Amino acid sequence: MATDAQSVKVQKVEPSFNPVQDEDLDQYSDELAEYTIVDVDVHVDDTLMFMLDYMEGHFRKRLETILQVDFKGEPGNSLRNMIAHIAWLGSSYDKPPRAKLASKQELLKRMEKGIIDYSILFPSELLPIGYLPEPKWAAALATAYNEYMVDAYQNLAGIKIAIVVAPQYPERAAEEIDHHAGHPDIVSVCIPDVGVNPPIGDQKYWPIFEAAARHSLPICFHGIEALIHDNYPLRVAHFPTLMQVNSMGFPFTSMLQIMSVVCAGIPVRFPNLKFAVLEAGLTWMPFIMYRLDAAYLRYRTELPALEKKPSDYIRAWHIGSHELEALPGRGDLVKLIELYQGQNTTMWASDWPHLERDLIAGFMRYDMDENLRRKILGENALRFFGLPPQK
Amino acid sequence: MPQQPSPSSRSKRKITVAAVEDFPPGTRMEVQVGRAVIAVFNIDGEYYALYGRCPHQSAPLSRGRLQGTVICNAETGWETEWAYDGEVLVCPGHGMEYHLKSGKAFGYTFKLRTYEVVVEEGQVKLVM
Ligand code: FES
Repeated sequence: MATDAQSVKVQKVEPSFNPVQDEDLDQYSDELAEYTIVDVDVHVDDTLMFMLDYMEGHFRKRLETILQVDFKGEPGNSLRNMIAHIAWLGSSYDKPPRAKLASKQELLKRMEKGIIDYSILFPSELLPIGYLPEPKWAAALATAYNEYMVDAYQNLAGIKIAIVVAPQYPERAAEEIDHHAGHPDIVSVCIPDVGVNPPIGDQKYWPIFEAAARHSLPICFHGIEALIHDNYPLRVAHFPTLMQVNSMGFPFTSMLQIMSVVCAGIPVRFPNLKFAVLEAGLTWMPFIMYRLDAAYLRYRTELPALEKKPSDYIRAWHIGSHELEALPGRGDLVKLIELYQGQNTTMWASDWPHLERDLIAGFMRYDMDENLRRKILGENALRFFGLPPQK
Repeated sequence: MPQQPSPSSRSKRKITVAAVEDFPPGTRMEVQVGRAVIAVFNIDGEYYALYGRCPHQSAPLSRGRLQGTVICNAETGWETEWAYDGEVLVCPGHGMEYHLKSGKAFGYTFKLRTYEVVVEEGQVKLVM
């Protein structure tokens, strides 16, 4: 019941036709001021039109053709919308209202609040390139993306970039890494891991790992809900609804790729290589660690290169908190992290400004000691990406 | 059975939200009372008030869009139908849906708290 002593504020409001952006940060600005905050999964508008100036020859011609397409009211240049959502188009009745892709100005405005110290930019539209059937086309898009991102987003305070590589063309991917690794704003190599066939531990991809290890650039696997492909472990035929794709697509892919990398002995061959998984939530981490351990007990001889059990390798992987699961109790996130021993590897990630981005309240509602909150909000990411502290 | 006024209702506070002419149909207000945030809506001249923060990740429900939703139950013969057009408040955070009139979350077992709204002497008042 309200008491007379309580203050009253009335405000006329308008419905939001785009999901509320950033207001969550304002809401917590006092509490967050204390912390170094690194948002390890941020997306800007990278629709294909921005790539045009960075493409040559027949690929440029091809991109020009794509840009003329009007895809059911979506921008014709949206690779993601063209191939990601078509099977389930409209299934959520436009709820929640569609998120825009963030412009550079919107990103800068978010940074100017002074709450977030670093934003790490990951591809958005380019995330489906992992399953494009033409390696050269995928690689050309990756090259154009990387050049565009460096041109548009270098030398901005607190903005860092993950270059993207097309895993289906490993030699080109390695060249791409060699080319960009020296740039001070390039902090990671993103492998879009959905639909990658064979799984990413296969020897064919090792040039990518070699190149990343050569330059000490951490690798981030970033999924996408798109499953218009026919590759293991998730085929589009398994998912009659987008809800099923969205919930299982990310973690299943992540688990497959982690298993593939670890069982291929990549952490043994490239001991200084660091890995992270983004956009897959957290709750499956204990499962994959201890499930692999259980089987390792019996089948270790198949994996003679491993020097320790699978969970001992996976424990070192970093993990972005998005899409943070709503666990029943306020103390449950700490319990979960204890299970996968992720106190030094869990990194706060919002996925801003995508529809499913996490509002900071989702993380702040969990009880934890200051030390752990500090690590997750920023310190773990500073270390992982090799960034100097700003506060 | 006619609703008995609860003993405490006499001591409830009435909070003025706006004059009727400043709160026309199709508009909404966010009212903050102490730390509590309440979303108040005028739908075709009827006022509805409910708890204003989404339990998922605290997005402001006063900013949600109103639309319908799909239902599928024994009454529809387990066919999917479009229903509650204009009465479904969609959270601007990630799209959870609430029935504006009852606070019930579609597809979940909980409901948001709702509040009585009265009009007295040309003023819209929230009772809490
Ligand atoms: S905050 Fe309401 S659905 Fe997420």
